Amino acid sequence: MRVLLVEDDATLSDAIARALRAEHFAVDIADNGEDGGHFGSTELYDAVVLDLGLPKRDGVSVLREWRAEGRTMPVLILTARDGWSEKVEGFKAGADDYLTKPFRVEELVMRLRALVRRATGHAAPRIACGPVVFDTQTGAFELHGLPLKLTAFEWRVLSCLALRAGLVVERRELLERVYEGDADVDSNSLEVIIGRLRRKIGHAMIETVRGRGYQLTASAA
Amino acid sequence: MTLIPRSLFGRLLASATLFIMIALVVAGLSIGRVLERFVLRGLDERLDSQIVLLARAVHPDGTIDRPLIIDMPPFDQPGRKWAWQVKTPAETLRSASLQGAAMPEPVLRRTERRRSHAIIASRPADGIAKSGEAMHFRIAQIDTSAGPVTIMAAGPREVAERPLRQAAVPLLASLGILGVFLIGAIFLQLRFGLRPLQRIEQSLAAVRRGEARHVPSGQPVELKPLVDEVNALIDQNEAGLENARRHVANLAHGLKTPLAALAVKLDEDGGRDSEMRALIDRIDASIRHHLGRARAAAPGGPARQATLLAPHIADLTTTLARIHAGRTLSIAQDVDPALAVACDPQDLEEMLGNLLDNAWRWAKAAIRITAIRSGSLVEIAIADDGPGLSTEAMAEAVVAGRRLDERGAGHGFGLSITRELAELYGGTLLLGPSPSGGLLATLALPRPEAHA
Repeated sequence: MRVLLVEDDATLSDAIARALRAEHFAVDIADNGEDGGHFGSTELYDAVVLDLGLPKRDGVSVLREWRAEGRTMPVLILTARDGWSEKVEGFKAGADDYLTKPFRVEELVMRLRALVRRATGHAAPRIACGPVVFDTQTGAFELHGLPLKLTAFEWRVLSCLALRAGLVVERRELLERVYEGDADVDSNSLEVIIGRLRRKIGHAMIETVRGRGYQLTASAA
Repeated sequence: MTLIPRSLFGRLLASATLFIMIALVVAGLSIGRVLERFVLRGLDERLDSQIVLLARAVHPDGTIDRPLIIDMPPFDQPGRKWAWQVKTPAETLRSASLQGAAMPEPVLRRTERRRSHAIIASRPADGIAKSGEAMHFRIAQIDTSAGPVTIMAAGPREVAERPLRQAAVPLLASLGILGVFLIGAIFLQLRFGLRPLQRIEQSLAAVRRGEARHVPSGQPVELKPLVDEVNALIDQNEAGLENARRHVANLAHGLKTPLAALAVKLDEDGGRDSEMRALIDRIDASIRHHLGRARAAAPGGPARQATLLAPHIADLTTTLARIHAGRTLSIAQDVDPALAVACDPQDLEEMLGNLLDNAWRWAKAAIRITAIRSGSLVEIAIADDGPGLSTEAMAEAVVAGRRLDERGAGHGFGLSITRELAELYGGTLLLGPSPSGGLLATLALPRPEAHA
């Protein structure tokens, strides 16, 4: 899962990014409205954390532009503006959630997970695919009822596939959702991660769809 | 002065009426005088021609050449009120009409001293005939060696006054009609001329009610500067509020971002230091409280505009449904779409947002929102079916800065700022138990009609 964090305060954005990465999220940071707007328009994100009071461009106008362009990724507004009119305006501009500063990191993470889950069309917090169960509230995976230990990259790949279980996820999309924007991606590294995952949850769980991508499937289990 | 009307219309109409009346009276009087002179001149000419005729019979030695005395009609007819008399130091001759009786003495008019182009200068005089009728005299004096010879001729004033009287009635009537027409014309002119003022009044009222942002600028030349000034004032007011709010937003950003960073760092370092956490919450609460108040437009702001309730409640319920996306509550709403309150829309959203947010946090399954008119107020009642509050907790909840639940999920914070905002607008916030056992918050705000 890859998140775009648009926040101008370096101390805060570093702290949030650290907290999100600790929860296995891939995080891209933009410290002004212009860059943030550009990233959101051109890259693929599972969720965006958007501050409103940004240098160069206001967050609300950035959000409006994304929505006008047809970008549908869930956006959580994280701002000091706590007035109800500002919240109403934020939602009207196309926000999916709104959190005011100061906030608790656990709440931010919980809300982001819920946003990503709802954006992929899941109403229930637990997603099951055969023996694999993904608890979207805690971010934890279970295999046959037992906790599954995963590295950050493994978690990103598996959560991405689990949220789209039964669907083919294109290789290019998977790469975008797993690696941070400035990461040096080795063309083979994704295959390496998939291989490790297959060893952990069973080979048949992740199906390679030749020329297209990968699919998490319960049929073989 | 209480006699001066308070309206411009009344002032203009009263002064115009006064001046028209004065002008008409002056016109009537001067026309009357001209007319009188005109008819008197006719009478004078008849009398003067008789005097000239008689004067020819007077010799320079004071004797009278009798055969030259001619009685022109109507002086020759006895009983008619036309008469003449020639008085020499030696004798007195009279017209046949007098039948030997002496002519009554005329009252000399001193003021009249007009040049007459008759050969013999004669003076006018008024007198009364024996019958009591008003007479008009002409008197001429000829100096002879024997002494002054006075020639008087008299005719009834009635001859002059009858046409005058006959002319007076149509004259006065037409002057009166003229006056009525002029006043009527001025009345219409004022109605027409002052209509833009009425329109401005209506558009200003619309601005105050929040139906329009500006007074339309397409106004008559004389009113345009006034309207432009008023519009500039409206803009300035709005800009002032906007400026203040932007300032508050910047201040909130400036204070809360480092506070948020501090909180996140605290979470990172284990985050279990509840004392530090409580301090951060206290700082946050006090920033929110004071900035919340600073953001309020409140009375004294630009206008007591009418803000419709229903759209704002709809916006807030949509927003809250998103914020509390994990909870599915049934929202029963009974709000007349035409119902409005006299309150700035942002302030209204602030108050309702806090109350609805509390309801959302605590309700088990249902929230009920109703709004009714109550005298000069609108009462908005928000009831949830949650655990409710004890009487002491209710009293505590509306005290500034007090949070019932230090974890930030409680009733309380929003309630105190809501109560303060409501009171700034002359409204109230009452808490009580709801029929379903939860909390019932009743927010009363003034109705816009009450301020119209």
